[in-house]
Amino acid sequence: MRRLLKSRGARKFTRNRLAMAALGIIAVYFLTALWVLLGGISMEATRQRVAPKQVPGFLETRTLEERVAFAMHYIDEVDQAVRLASRRDQDAYEILADKALAERRAAKMSTDEYNELLDEAFAVLEDELEGVEDLSHHPELEPRVERLEEIAAALYPVPQGWEGVKYRLRTFLGSDAAGQSISVRAVYSVKVAFQIGLITSVISVIIGSLLGAAAAFFGGWIDHVITWIFSTLSSIPYLVLLSVLIVVFFGTIFDNPERPFLSLVPVYVAFCSTFWIGPCRVIRGETMKIKELEYVQAATAIGFSRLYILVRHVIPNTAHLMFINFSLLFIGAIKSEVILSFLGLGVKGQPSWGIMIRDAKDEVITYFFWQIGAATVLMFVLVLAFNILTDALQDAFDPRHVD
Amino acid sequence: MSLLEVRHLVKHFPVRGGVLNRVVGHVHAVNDVSFDVRKGETLGIVGESGCGKSTLGKMLIRLIEPTSGTITYEGQDITALSHSQMMPLRRTMQIIFQDPYSSLNPRLTVRSLLKEAIAFHRIVARNEMDDYITELIRRVGLRADAADKFPHEFSGGQRQRIGIARALATKPEFIVADEPVSALDVSIQAQVLNLLMDLKDEFGLTLVFISHDLKVIQHFCDRVMVMYLGHAVETLPCLELDEQVRHPYSKALLGANPIDDPDQRRPLTILQGDVPSPFHMPAGCPFIGRCPDVIDRCRAEMPPIVEREPGHRVACWVANEDVAEPAAPAKSLG
Repeated sequence: MRRLLKSRGARKFTRNRLAMAALGIIAVYFLTALWVLLGGISMEATRQRVAPKQVPGFLETRTLEERVAFAMHYIDEVDQAVRLASRRDQDAYEILADKALAERRAAKMSTDEYNELLDEAFAVLEDELEGVEDLSHHPELEPRVERLEEIAAALYPVPQGWEGVKYRLRTFLGSDAAGQSISVRAVYSVKVAFQIGLITSVISVIIGSLLGAAAAFFGGWIDHVITWIFSTLSSIPYLVLLSVLIVVFFGTIFDNPERPFLSLVPVYVAFCSTFWIGPCRVIRGETMKIKELEYVQAATAIGFSRLYILVRHVIPNTAHLMFINFSLLFIGAIKSEVILSFLGLGVKGQPSWGIMIRDAKDEVITYFFWQIGAATVLMFVLVLAFNILTDALQDAFDPRHVD
Repeated sequence: MSLLEVRHLVKHFPVRGGVLNRVVGHVHAVNDVSFDVRKGETLGIVGESGCGKSTLGKMLIRLIEPTSGTITYEGQDITALSHSQMMPLRRTMQIIFQDPYSSLNPRLTVRSLLKEAIAFHRIVARNEMDDYITELIRRVGLRADAADKFPHEFSGGQRQRIGIARALATKPEFIVADEPVSALDVSIQAQVLNLLMDLKDEFGLTLVFISHDLKVIQHFCDRVMVMYLGHAVETLPCLELDEQVRHPYSKALLGANPIDDPDQRRPLTILQGDVPSPFHMPAGCPFIGRCPDVIDRCRAEMPPIVEREPGHRVACWVANEDVAEPAAPAKSLG
């Protein structure tokens, strides 16, 4: 490791500004994933209703109609609670206390105070707004809409301070069809992506490297068997293989959305069983080269066992290829997860970018792009950063790329 | 007394080809080579690229398994030994490689690569390890602070010294030096050769010194064996090289060496043609395609090795015309 950090390649790598920026972005993602994993965003938070359904994010100017609908969502909640309370002879606030939308909770008032505000709201709605053909042609009505929003805010105040910041963060990318926060789900998916990416790429690189190195170093029937396995596996279309492997797990303990970690196991198995081929091929080739080098012969002349030579003298000298492959597979795993989840075969019981894109299918037709946008932009930035990193690693460590 | 006796050593590398990856032929790297190495002497093996001298050297310490023939080291046939039986002998037989850049693992410091060998053969006790390594490094002419550096921090000559230190680390008796100076600058060559000479005397080593440079061999060795296309064509003491050399190939090699006296001239033979492919060996003498003295018999029959005088053996029909056919192969191959 020390030698690796001091090497020419490492210096070349650290001088590459783009690569350092990519590394920074990946670090931010990684810390986010860690934060989510340590409980920064609970699973409940991803399912909670934070707003009415399909509320657009911060960038979009809403039409007057949409603003009315948004305000009326809160006013209707209070109205229903007040009616229910009068039937049950109860205090309206007791019913409203359970109906929080994210950090927005109903203001504590007496039933009379509620009624006063509700009366005003319905007066505005019925007398001035109802019956108007197209609100967008009547900009003079905007003050009335604003009054409606004020009433909604009075009934359901946006909290002050930290709670308010949290509320804005949760809603700034809008909500999906179930009223769940898109921003919370998209950020939570960073954890899922890292979980899948890290676990599958680490396992695949370890398996692939060991098998590839062993195949090339020992040769003979070991090489034949390993080469046969990976050429057979790689001749099967990759998505078909993944789907079949996942279908095998249907109905088992791993097919339970209530246990999100276990339900990812089929995905890990499917990815690892195909992803190891890449590093295996590359490391096999490199080992073939290294095993003919004189320092390996010198080790043989000293009398070391073949296994010791492989572990101590051959495999450490393929480390740079392992880094490059790790980075490549990480992207591969994230992209494949999205494809599988889109097909309904991947992640279960928790949000992921693939799930979000799948859910966004119906919204896109109605010009609602916030969900698919959030998922793809977050994924795009991460994949781009990893691509730049991989290129830089290759430039720095691959002897064929040396200028 | 012979430390090493090599008899009829052959190495054929199979060549695979075709769709089914069948063996379609063999490269004849080493063909029926026999020689002895006496304790304490330095035997030079000279020949052009591809003549099998490195293969031969590596077979001597079993880095390459011979196809047939025997190698007897101190009375023990090492070609028959298993990996574990070979272990104690591995300590006593070491090798110095040609390329100082690929012969050192780039990820190990000098200390760790020496330590590895020393600890494996338990050469010294653990608490004496550091002193022993320091002494080794000093002995091969490097500064003590070299121990904790990585190979890429050294020059070619320094790296070759590290390679020598590694070979010496296990206190061997026999070392194969496989073109140890060919990759170095001429000025460095002399330094490394002198170092090897000093170490040979100091540790009482027996050396097989492989080179394509007859000048270096003449300077360094007691006896020289000339190889051509896998065959040992002439063996003689280095002191007699200038006067006694008989084989036309040896003469050509010798003639290619400049003499450091402008008044003296050697007859210069420039060889025509190319080395035949070791994949398609010619019938008869392997040298016929390039030999200036070729006669009909050379094309038909492989010339036998004839011991002209004690210690001078030549395989050539023309050169041996003046001596009688050998009655029986000599028992000890000097």
